[in-house]
Amino acid sequence: MASTSRVHCPDHPDAILVEDYRAGDMICPECGLVVGDRVIDVGSEWRTFSNEKALKDPSRVGDAQNPLLNGGDLTTMISKGTGAASFDEFGNSKYQNRRTMSSSDRAMLNAFKEISTMADRINLPRNIIDRTNNLFKQVYEQKSLKGRANDAIASACLYIACRQEGVPRTFKEICAVSRISKKEIGRCFKLILKALETSVDLITTGDFMSRFCSNLGLPKQVQMAATFIARKAVELDLVPGRSPISVAAAAIYMASQASAEKKTQKEIGDIAGVADVTIRQSYRLIYPRAAELFPPDFKFDTPVDKLPQL
Amino acid sequence: MDSSNDEALDIIITNVVATFRTRCHLNLRTIALEGINVIYKPDMGKVLMKLRKPKITASIWSSGKIICTGATSEDDAKVGARRLARTLQKLGFKVRFSAFKVVNVLAVCSMPFAIRLIDFTKKNRPIASYEPELHPAATYRIKHIKATIQVFSTGSITVTGPNVQNVASAVEQVYPLLFECQKPRCK
Repeated sequence: MASTSRVHCPDHPDAILVEDYRAGDMICPECGLVVGDRVIDVGSEWRTFSNEKALKDPSRVGDAQNPLLNGGDLTTMISKGTGAASFDEFGNSKYQNRRTMSSSDRAMLNAFKEISTMADRINLPRNIIDRTNNLFKQVYEQKSLKGRANDAIASACLYIACRQEGVPRTFKEICAVSRISKKEIGRCFKLILKALETSVDLITTGDFMSRFCSNLGLPKQVQMAATFIARKAVELDLVPGRSPISVAAAAIYMASQASAEKKTQKEIGDIAGVADVTIRQSYRLIYPRAAELFPPDFKFDTPVDKLPQL
Repeated sequence: MDSSNDEALDIIITNVVATFRTRCHLNLRTIALEGINVIYKPDMGKVLMKLRKPKITASIWSSGKIICTGATSEDDAKVGARRLARTLQKLGFKVRFSAFKVVNVLAVCSMPFAIRLIDFTKKNRPIASYEPELHPAATYRIKHIKATIQVFSTGSITVTGPNVQNVASAVEQVYPLLFECQKPRCK
């Protein structure tokens, strides 16, 4: 048992000990000396197989704890009785009390469930979900946005988490998996940034290219060409004041029309969440300088002068 | 290069909002029936009265609180408010003009150059915010004079503040920042 700090090897006090959890030892990597023993084994107590009847779960511990997000919930509950004595005459169980375990965190747990559902709909990875949960917890504890609907705050947290991880989702995409309107999510987004005193990076056209292009089924060449076109258009400032999503959609339209895989404005508008008149407007702005926007090594199926003019 | 280029830049005040009290209870039905140029909104609990001479729209509540919008200068707002109080007096209410306060001033200004919003936002990170998906302008909030400036990529800006003085100083403050991020003239 370490009294001051961790145990360490007497010969190599600076060496970081390796834990062998099977045998319950702490081993020095330099000389192999077993320093601490009788470390508690954290492996499972029994082996459980899926085909066995799960009536009796021999595990003596509960679910994995979620220490970061809950209040360190160590409360216990009385479960429903199993024997005959626990039922009274009418067949109702005698002990009916199923109080909520953590009323203060009930709303937070609900929100986490909602976040998980939303993220699942657009297949977001675990790290984004964890980040969203953390953000929600911070906002919830601060209580500055207490009056707002929890779902709205959850959706805004999801949006911010995607942005922070470098894979932004458009507001419309978050709207599609949430019941909250875009306006409300936008409002909550600004409020959360102010409350947490953080800021997010600006969105660029390239962030959305791979998602939109693969949803449309465009080959890699077209995707790379569209990325190049959009970046060049923003650098040359042909599209001032236009949302990057609209510029990206117009670039995809131009690239796909120049290649063998032609997509209509309506299809692209559907995937990107942009109206097809908006694509038309942005396309009109980039069309005059189309020749310099394409990457130099692009294979044209339709030459530049034959591109549709809308 | 001039930091205070006021003579070249016109700051046009487009809207002044002011509130005042009449210190007496007003019967909205009477105003709605007997007043001229009034719109009654019973679901919102107020009466809208539009004046012609200083072009002003006023929301009148039964508690006696009145909000005047649409004036083009602070004096205009005061004149309009007084005229409004006089109209209410003529309708028979014991009106006392009190607690006149200009609450909000909205001004529009146009820079002689276009602005690169992305550069502007990056340079002024926490104070400026730009969300192209939500609004095409970048918002710049100056905390100590309580003014908000919305910057558009064409070079026009709108400034809102509690009074005309703040608005003018806000424009002066933001001009050098905008000058740095202007778009070069001939492309």
